[in-house]
Order: sequence, then structure tokens, then C-alpha cells
Amino acid sequence: MAGKAIWKGYINFGDVNLPVKLHTAIKEDRIQFHLLHKRDHLKLRQQMICAFEKKPVPTEAQVKGFEVEEGKYIIVDPDEIEQTAPEDSRMIEVREFVKTEQIDPLFLERVYYLEPDVPLKGYDALVGALKEMEVAGICTWAMRKRYYLGALQTGGKILRLTTLRYADEVISLKSLELPDIPLSEKELKIGSDLINRLTAPFQPQKFENEHQKKLQSLIEKKARGEKIAVLRPRRLKPTAPDKLLQALEASLKKVA
Amino acid sequence: MQGIWSGTISFSLVAIPVDLVKAVDSGRVSFRMLHSKDYSPLQRRMFCPEEETMVPPDEIIRGYEIGPDKYILISDEELESVSPERSRTIEIVEFIDMDEVDPIYYDHPYYLIPSKGGEKAYRLLVEVMRRTHKAGLAKFVLGEREYLVAVYSSEGALALITLHYREEILPDEDISPKKGKIEDEEKSRIKQNIRKMMADFDPGKYADKRRKEIMDLLKKKAKEKAPVEAPEMEGEEGEGPADLVAALKESMRKVKKNR
Amino acid sequence: MSRKAVEIAGRRLSLSNLEKDLYPSYGFTKAHILEYYLGIAKFILPHLKDRALTLKRYPEGVEKDFFFEKRCPSHHPEWVNTAEVSPDEGERMTVCLVNDLATLMWVENLASLELHVPLARVDSPETPDSMVFDLDPGDRANILSCARVALMLRDLLSGLRLTSYVKTSGKKGLHVYVPLNRKETTFENTKTFSKAVAEIMQKNYPNLVTAKMAKEYRKAKVFINWAQNDSSKTMICVYSLRAREKPVVSFPLAWKELENLSKQGDPEKLQIKHSEAVGRAEKQGDLFREVIVKKQKLPYL
Repeated sequence: MAGKAIWKGYINFGDVNLPVKLHTAIKEDRIQFHLLHKRDHLKLRQQMICAFEKKPVPTEAQVKGFEVEEGKYIIVDPDEIEQTAPEDSRMIEVREFVKTEQIDPLFLERVYYLEPDVPLKGYDALVGALKEMEVAGICTWAMRKRYYLGALQTGGKILRLTTLRYADEVISLKSLELPDIPLSEKELKIGSDLINRLTAPFQPQKFENEHQKKLQSLIEKKARGEKIAVLRPRRLKPTAPDKLLQALEASLKKVA
Repeated sequence: MQGIWSGTISFSLVAIPVDLVKAVDSGRVSFRMLHSKDYSPLQRRMFCPEEETMVPPDEIIRGYEIGPDKYILISDEELESVSPERSRTIEIVEFIDMDEVDPIYYDHPYYLIPSKGGEKAYRLLVEVMRRTHKAGLAKFVLGEREYLVAVYSSEGALALITLHYREEILPDEDISPKKGKIEDEEKSRIKQNIRKMMADFDPGKYADKRRKEIMDLLKKKAKEKAPVEAPEMEGEEGEGPADLVAALKESMRKVKKNR
Repeated sequence: MSRKAVEIAGRRLSLSNLEKDLYPSYGFTKAHILEYYLGIAKFILPHLKDRALTLKRYPEGVEKDFFFEKRCPSHHPEWVNTAEVSPDEGERMTVCLVNDLATLMWVENLASLELHVPLARVDSPETPDSMVFDLDPGDRANILSCARVALMLRDLLSGLRLTSYVKTSGKKGLHVYVPLNRKETTFENTKTFSKAVAEIMQKNYPNLVTAKMAKEYRKAKVFINWAQNDSSKTMICVYSLRAREKPVVSFPLAWKELENLSKQGDPEKLQIKHSEAVGRAEKQGDLFREVIVKKQKLPYL
């Protein structure tokens, strides 16, 4: 089952005005740990401590400040910040369309599924159009006191809305100046062959969170009072630049 | 220390020493919490509610709750030993075509940069992945979690994206529309609209409005009132260690004599 | 707005707004600033190396708003060295390390006129490399009063076999540094020591010196800010420009010179401008070199 509906809006562009409901699409399942005091195994709590008095400070005595110079702050009132928050407008405005392949995964943040809301007309048509043209709609909207930038795309039979990072939130690779080391054609050829040999179709169901399982079994072992062998993490010896060709050739032989 | 994690990335028998660094940085305006009494900055500390004291990091241990107030304790070494071969290595086990990956799998991006000695092998991997248009699929452990990751070549460097596991992606069958009529005419009209609105992907066109509004508010406030200052820690009253004070007194005596 | 692509030490950088006048009443543009830092680079870089930089940016010039940044701007080129720090055992933050000429130019292109760095290096943030006496004159005192205090400090410390070095702050004060450069030193050590020194100075010269921060104690006195000896504090880096009316520099002085200037009695002579700075550094070398090299141990702790 998809996650619960968290918001409602309208996809808007041209004469399209499509009501949708947003659902969460990802559910992370993790083993949760608590932090305990070693001495007495009591559960610890996070507290805000005053750096000056070294004592905990209750919420009523806490204010927000913006550091303008070292040690100097502008105090902000929660109401003032609240005022900068946008109103929920319910409108997901599509500003332009781009070829889906142009969207670098670095910009993708969080995915939501869009369920058609009443009236139902137009949803399938939009799915079809986006899919056949291989495009995504770049949209802006205001939700839960924040402004969002996102990509409207298809996923299977439905529409998805993925929030995007702003340009200045992605650290640029453009002015990259990693050392330009010359490589021989032989090294490149063997490397390419090796990769092609090791290529397989993407089948995510093959992969299980083994660490999670092993962690679970570690916990169970300890619960039963069994002794745990602590293994050192293995550190691989880096391949020296003059041994690179050798390593590639040996690898190719291994997979052949 | 150069980054978030350092270790080795490997494929078959080639091992490359690398550092993992951030690829993205939140643009949100960050505030500090201060004590309203004197504007001292507040710090997050772990606090033992029973003993009513702060607890330093070396007295803290992780525990898994198996019952009310019953915990199994796990130390850092034990945690690292769960997948020892993966704690310091990103082992690429196969290569895939990124076009086959449904973008819903993408979780969080990082960059890998070569550490000393690994520059050549790093360059090779970047170049051959670019030529073959493939990405490497690997598993690696960061902190308490194991991730499935895709390592790919982009603009002369390696980017690493953590992926969600299959079971973390919720099914969408229950929200897809039930069989309706084919809306060909509607679809054509929409395509026409789309064609009129085509552009190249340029996230630089869009700025975070809220961030700008908050910054404007702060600039305005800075002009109205001088910023507040946290008190200086005066330290203990008293002169200091006895020997030091005595030595300083002696030295001061000589300084005054020579003036 | 002009943009110019340059290559510096093998790195490509795009410089902008070169003609923008950032010191309007003096006439000192971004280009001049870059030129200054290029000229002083070999002297300033060793003092910036591996230290978490706090940028103080004046994009519209010294008379307008500035903003200071501890986080490394996210649009940094990949070749800029960075480090992850956790100043509060909670928040993680990426900081810039100005470890080469190209990074210095990049930072200056962002109009970070002033460069502030901590006393410790990023890989050992609780280990100060030196102890500092930040001499700050009250409203009715000036740099000449600071000079008197600095000279006495030098003698007092030398009585304890500690060698010290002095630089101008580029504003109204002076900074006296005692190099330590030992991994055993802690901020606890330097804070305790400097506080004891400040207090004995105050005790013996109560009309000249104060060790208390509160403004009412300061007026005609020199405040010895010993509390700067802290992992969370930064000092203006030697050779950095200051954002004042004129492009003045935080510049090291030989003790002999400070004695002479102090006798001459002209506070203006203690303000070293950019052009003078590069020339002098070329001629006499880095007078502050020992601050990052000399090993000393604080006695009696």
C-alpha cells in the first residue's frame, strides 16, 4: 500500500487543472538504537545546555538567533519567521517541461506519488503525454510553510512529484580540476572489457539489506548471552599506479 | 580529514583509496538556539535524567530495546564487526546501465575524490565508466547502516548515490486510476501544451523564495537594532595556579625594575 | 559586470566584478585586492594552512553590509580543500581550508576581505599552536597605549623564558603571540596562563591595563582579551586586509621597530597599508614565521 495521503493540490499549466493527492512513496525500515549511559544503562535524553552556565535550559527560555558576527546574534521571533512562510496555495504550477534525461540525479530529493482526486478526468491523458514525450514538468508550489521546486514525471501508470534541490544546494563539479593522469589505450581497453563482462541488468530485488539481518542476529546472539567475536574491518591494499595494468589483466582473466 | 568517510573503492582486483565528501548542502538558513536570559549559545548534550547530569561521549553506549527498560548493548567495535569487509570498502560487484534505474531508487548523493596514491586508478575508473556508459553497483556500510549504492562517472569525477532497497519502495497499485476510457483527444491537447513549454533543464532559474525572505528580514532587523552579544566566560575568580602566579610576580618585579 | 577566466597554479578560476570599488573613499577595487593577496600569498598561506576559515565578505564594499560565513560556500570548486567539523557535537559543517594560491584567489573573488582563523588547526581543533594576547584599546586609549602594554608583556614573558611576537590588528590594537606548537598543549592551558598574565598586568598597572571585558572597565585602558584563547574563537590572520576606510593590513612588527614607533608617538605610523606590506615582506621575509614553527612549553602549569 502506498503511504498515506499527506496533502492535496492541483497540477496547473495551460488549460490543465488536475486535482491530486500526494502520498509518501518510501518507507525506511531501520533498527533503532537508544543512547544509554554506560554506567547504569539509563536512557539518555537530548537537552539544550547553556554554554555559559553549563545547565539545561527549558524551552521557554530558548530563543533563536542568527549569527551575524562572531558571538553576535540577531534575535528572531518565531512569529516573524512564521510570517515569511508561504500560504498553502494548493496549486502545483508547472513552469516548463524538460527532457527527463536532462535531470541529473544530484538534484532529486524526495518522491511523492500522485493519486487522482475528484473529478478524475485528464489524469491518464497526462500520464500518457508525459510518457510518450519522455518529458518532466518543472513545477513550483508552496506546501507546509515551504516553497518547493519539483519535477512532475510518470512512474509506471501513475504520476510522481519529486522535489528538486535548488541550484546552489548542489556542490558544483563543473570547475573540477582533478589531476589529469595519462592512461594507456591498453589500460582503457582492458578496463572497458572488464566492465562489460561485469555488466548485468539492474535487478534491485536481488539486493537485500544483509547488514540489517546480521545486526539483528548479533542482537539476538547477545540476548542469548553468546560471545561475540569482534572482527577487524578489512582494509584493501590500494593498487599502485604502476601495477594497474597488471591488476586489470588479472581481473579480466578471473571473470573470463 | 578530508571528508565524511575514507576507505577504498574496488572492482574485481583493483582497489582505489578515496574520500567520501558531500555533494549537496542544505540552503536553509541556520539559526542558533540561545538562552533568552543572556543570549549564551545553547549546545546539544546528552543528559541523564535520573542523575541530572550531562554525559560526555565516552560514557555513552548504544542499546537496542528488547523490553521495557531492557536493552542489549552494542559497542562501536561490535557494530563495525557486523560487516567488517564493508566498513572500509565500497566493493563494486557488478555494473549496470543507469538508464535502467527507475529514479525512485535514488536516495542521497555524495562525491568520491581520490586520496593519495589513487589518482591514476581513479581516473581510469572515471574514464572507462564514461566510455561504456555504465555505473557500478555496490554495497557499503556508513555509520550504522548498510547502503546499496550506484557509483557513476560525471564530469570527470565519481559520484555516489545511495539507493533505496526494493522493499522500502511502497507499491502504488492502490492509487493508480482504475480502468477508465482512453482520453486520446485530451492527450493530444496536453502534448500541444507541453510542446509550447519546452526548455532545457536549468535549476539555476529558480531560487528559494523563503530563504530570500528570511535573509531580507534579518537584514532589516540588523539595521533596526544592534545584535546582542553573548557574555564572555569570565572564568573562575582567582589568580591561577600558585606556581605560575609566583613566577609571574618575580618576572614582573624585574620588568618594573628595568623600566 | 566583467568576468575573467584565469588559470592559477594549474586551476581554472572565473573572476568577477574586477572593477568594483570596494574601498570607495580610497579607491581600491576587487582587482587591487586580488593583486594584493597575490603579492602577499607566499607569506600568508603558511598561516592559513589547515585552519577552518571564517570568511568576512563585503560584496558591496567596506561601507555596506558584510556577512560572515563559517560554512564553506557550497558552490566551491572541487579542488578547494575542505574539512568536516562538529563545533557543537551535533551540527556538522563543512569549512574551507585555504591551502593553496588558487583557493586564496577564489576566496578573495568572493570579496572575503578579512580572513579569520582559529588558533588550532582543523585536524586537532583542541590543540592551540600558540597563545594570544589580544590587546584592545578602550575608547579613550589608542594603539600607542597597546604598544606600551605589548612591550611590557614581552618582557614579562621573557622573564619566564617565553619568546613572543607582535602584529598590528589592522584596526586599533595589537596582537601578541606566544608560539607553542606542541601537541600536548590545550586551550585550558593557554586560557589559564593568559588569564594569570592579564591579571598580574592589571594588578600592577591598573590605570593602563584591564583584564575585564565589561565596557565600563575599559575607557582609557587597554583590555587584554585573554578569553580569545578558545577553540571557538578566531583571530584575524596575519597579512589579512581589514575592512576599514583604507586597505590596512594586520602586519607583524619586529620588537625593535615597535619600540621606536612607540617612542615617536605617531599612531598612524603603526598602520601598515597594502603596498607597504608587500614591499616590506619581500625585503624582510615573514616576521611571523616563528609563530607557526617555534616550539615552546608553558611553564608552571
